[in-house]
Amino acid sequence: MGLFLVINATYGQVINKVPLSERITGYKMDVKLDTDAKTVSGNMEAFWVNKSTDMVPDIRMHLYMNAFRSNKTTFYTESGKSSWEISPGNKDQDLGWIEIKSFEDKNGTDLIPRMEYISPDDRNKEDRTVLKVMLPEPAKPGDTVFVKIKFKTKLPSHIRRTGYNDDYYFVAQWFPKFGVYEPAGMRYVSMGGWNCHQFHANSEFYSNHSVYDVTITLPANYVVGSGGMLISETINGEMKTQVLRAEDIVDFAWTAWPGYAVFKDKWKNVNIALLIPKDRVKQVERQFTAVKNALEYLDKNVGPYPWPHLTFVDPPSKGEGACGMEYTTLFTSGSSYFMPSFMHIPEMVTIHEFGHAYFMGILASNEFEEPWLDEGVNSFLEERIMDHYYGNNSGRIDHPLFKVSDVTLIRLSYTMFPTKQAVSNAEYSWNYPHGTYYMMSYFKTATWLHSLMGIVGEVTINDIFREYYRKWAFKHPSGKDFVNVVNEVVKKEHGEEFGLDMNWFFNQTLYGTGICDYKVSDIRNRKYQEPQGKIESADSINNIWLKTDSLFTATAQLERIGEVMLPVDVLIHFSNGDEVLEKWDGKERYKDFEYTGYREIKWVKIDPEFKIRMDVNYINNSMTTEPQKAPLHRLANKILSFIQLYLSIILL
Amino acid sequence: MKIFSSLKSGFSRALKSRKGVLIVWFSLFILVLVFIYPLRGSLNSAFGRSMITEKLADGFDIEVFADLGSTLKSLMSFFTAGFLCVYFTGFIMNAFLTAGLFGSVKKENGKFSAQEFFRSASKNFWSFLIITLIIDVIIYFYSGLFLGVPIVIVELSETISEKTAFTIVIFAIVFSILLLPVFLLVADYARAWKSANENESGFKAIGVGFSHIFKNFWPSYIMMILLILAQVVLGIFIILILSVWKPVTGGGVFLLLIISQLMLYARLLLKTWRYASVTSLMERMQTVDTADL
Repeated sequence: MGLFLVINATYGQVINKVPLSERITGYKMDVKLDTDAKTVSGNMEAFWVNKSTDMVPDIRMHLYMNAFRSNKTTFYTESGKSSWEISPGNKDQDLGWIEIKSFEDKNGTDLIPRMEYISPDDRNKEDRTVLKVMLPEPAKPGDTVFVKIKFKTKLPSHIRRTGYNDDYYFVAQWFPKFGVYEPAGMRYVSMGGWNCHQFHANSEFYSNHSVYDVTITLPANYVVGSGGMLISETINGEMKTQVLRAEDIVDFAWTAWPGYAVFKDKWKNVNIALLIPKDRVKQVERQFTAVKNALEYLDKNVGPYPWPHLTFVDPPSKGEGACGMEYTTLFTSGSSYFMPSFMHIPEMVTIHEFGHAYFMGILASNEFEEPWLDEGVNSFLEERIMDHYYGNNSGRIDHPLFKVSDVTLIRLSYTMFPTKQAVSNAEYSWNYPHGTYYMMSYFKTATWLHSLMGIVGEVTINDIFREYYRKWAFKHPSGKDFVNVVNEVVKKEHGEEFGLDMNWFFNQTLYGTGICDYKVSDIRNRKYQEPQGKIESADSINNIWLKTDSLFTATAQLERIGEVMLPVDVLIHFSNGDEVLEKWDGKERYKDFEYTGYREIKWVKIDPEFKIRMDVNYINNSMTTEPQKAPLHRLANKILSFIQLYLSIILL
Repeated sequence: MKIFSSLKSGFSRALKSRKGVLIVWFSLFILVLVFIYPLRGSLNSAFGRSMITEKLADGFDIEVFADLGSTLKSLMSFFTAGFLCVYFTGFIMNAFLTAGLFGSVKKENGKFSAQEFFRSASKNFWSFLIITLIIDVIIYFYSGLFLGVPIVIVELSETISEKTAFTIVIFAIVFSILLLPVFLLVADYARAWKSANENESGFKAIGVGFSHIFKNFWPSYIMMILLILAQVVLGIFIILILSVWKPVTGGGVFLLLIISQLMLYARLLLKTWRYASVTSLMERMQTVDTADL
């Protein structure tokens, strides 16, 4: 009966008219928040459908909250050096864990004896974030495995995405959650199996799109925000119960705090709710503007946002550990009471985190194994949205005296990183060495995607994303699938202008470790030399201009310093005002463009429009025979005056 | 009344000491120039014949400098070390030069004499150094106390609302700013008194400075606020000019240098007005004290 109710509920439609995904998994939970014990406990009924042609002997579930059990878990042993990073704390109230109190199948068979904690990634015996449960009978193709679990989750005191602080709760990664069973042929899999990784310090998640029916009971004075739609709320004395439903999302998280003020707005048919600390009311308008900008841009350039509801949270300072995280129809931003309007940091966080509704929410890539496919792609869209709505030069900071674009900051976060060649983009998230996770997965990816846009054009890049969405929405695309979409669209729109496919690009940027750096080595203007000595055949120029002494052989000498070879434009400006735009495939180590005529080369610019954002040094991209020193001298003079002013103020 | 007559007298004394102010301006200019000139050369060399500097035409562009890579690190190290050298040298130089300025503003009707300026500067140098050092330490200490403690409390508190936290920090900043004129007055009274009593020690002068301010608190405080306001207004104007004006030709850059230096000279003149006004007020107080006797 339970099975029937759960499956019926999760296949039925409440929010959208038709299911958006296959719904391989589904969850029905009834839980209670104990604000004294800092626990969430209750019952869960869930199912997993074997859509493969395999006989599957077990199921695997994530028990993420066990990452906070001790300082010996994989999550903590991989973390940084500060005290809160190396340990969840010493006291019982600091720790986080999840306890399975009972675990039954559809027949009521106790599965607890069949449970085993496994550590597929690092064999860490102290890590209990992955649970393997042998089924009494292997699941046949098409079978639905139904489980009923009674669990208790203790939240950690130091919020790292999830946890509590005082009366603030952010409840994420909190329930037993199925891994993803990948049949042969899916992504990179040659043999069917569970993809269920441990909880790593530098990693996010991977799940099937599911339906969630969640009932939460908690003190009545708490304001709740979640990724679900509120179906009903009943108040019983000092407690209240909310019934929530979410369809076709990859994770369900919620937050509760008495201090939230709730604001509502609407974009097209999407009802947007913002939960924000009461004293941050001044930030409300800019937050709504940001999220509506993101909705508009992604709707136009990628695909529709398919849910009629969206909740976002601006956590208070005591919940700042929950800032900047995404749960598809719920995400967290980050601002503060005093956030000057010229600093677009809250907007950036909001736009980035909302973007994840697409890149891993709708296009549910494996964040464990290919973090670039969600974080990098999303950062690329983020920088475009920021600079589109907040100014090309002022996407991130827009002060009359100082402006910085989002594109610039993302590029610099890559180009200035000392170990940017340590590893390729195509690594598991926890395998990025020397602290390169963020640089690689976010910034390098966004930078090479921008370079790709520079090569194929903005129209094509938008078409690529629209096609990627059309083809892979509510599925699990891999990097290979994204590359295939790029190849298809580029070929369709540009023929073989860039070769048979774009693999040459991805081999260097996504899979390679090289850097891109083009340089103008020299400009040489030599007076044309009259032929002397024994000349057998005089060319036409010799014949015509033999005695002319204002004829020049002008050469622009270019060099490829980096390993990455990308096609670039070269703009050459001559003394008579002529300009020539050359196309260079960027492959040779050294390249000369030579011209003979009544003109000298005045300046040369490689990539004059800064399309190739991967180029790690723009300074050497240009050269002139008449350097303009005025801007540098102006800067030096200003520094001089500012220091004098400072000294006149600071010295008594 | 006392305030305005002191301000008026101070203004007249400051104007008479304009050559002394010129010496101060020139000394600071040369000091900073010695640091900036090689920096300018390094920038020229780092950018070479690149046209990327075009991007600086509209103002500072972070990307232009970030691409300097390891050269940027060297430049930053040079800048930091150079700035510290300039600061410490400036600190010592300032003690010497202000001793000269206080010497030249102490007599209402006297003419400026370079000889007297340098005599007073050398005679009172050590005492002025001690006075400025001690008052600086006091200012840094109380700033740390009144700004640091509330910020730490706010940071550590998990239950305090953001609005309250913001209010506390703003209150702490305002309180510290309002307290600053008191210590400036102590320093100025101490130096004015030391200048008039050259054989006394710097430590005693600080004591006298404290005693003078508490003896005549409100007129001194209000006068100092007015003087600081004038300096702040000019300071903001200088910052605006330097920030907004972006000449792109060599001639324009030179004009910017000339105008900014003129404004900096004016700012030093206002600072001298402060010294002279406090000296004048102190002299009036002493006259009243003598009359009372």
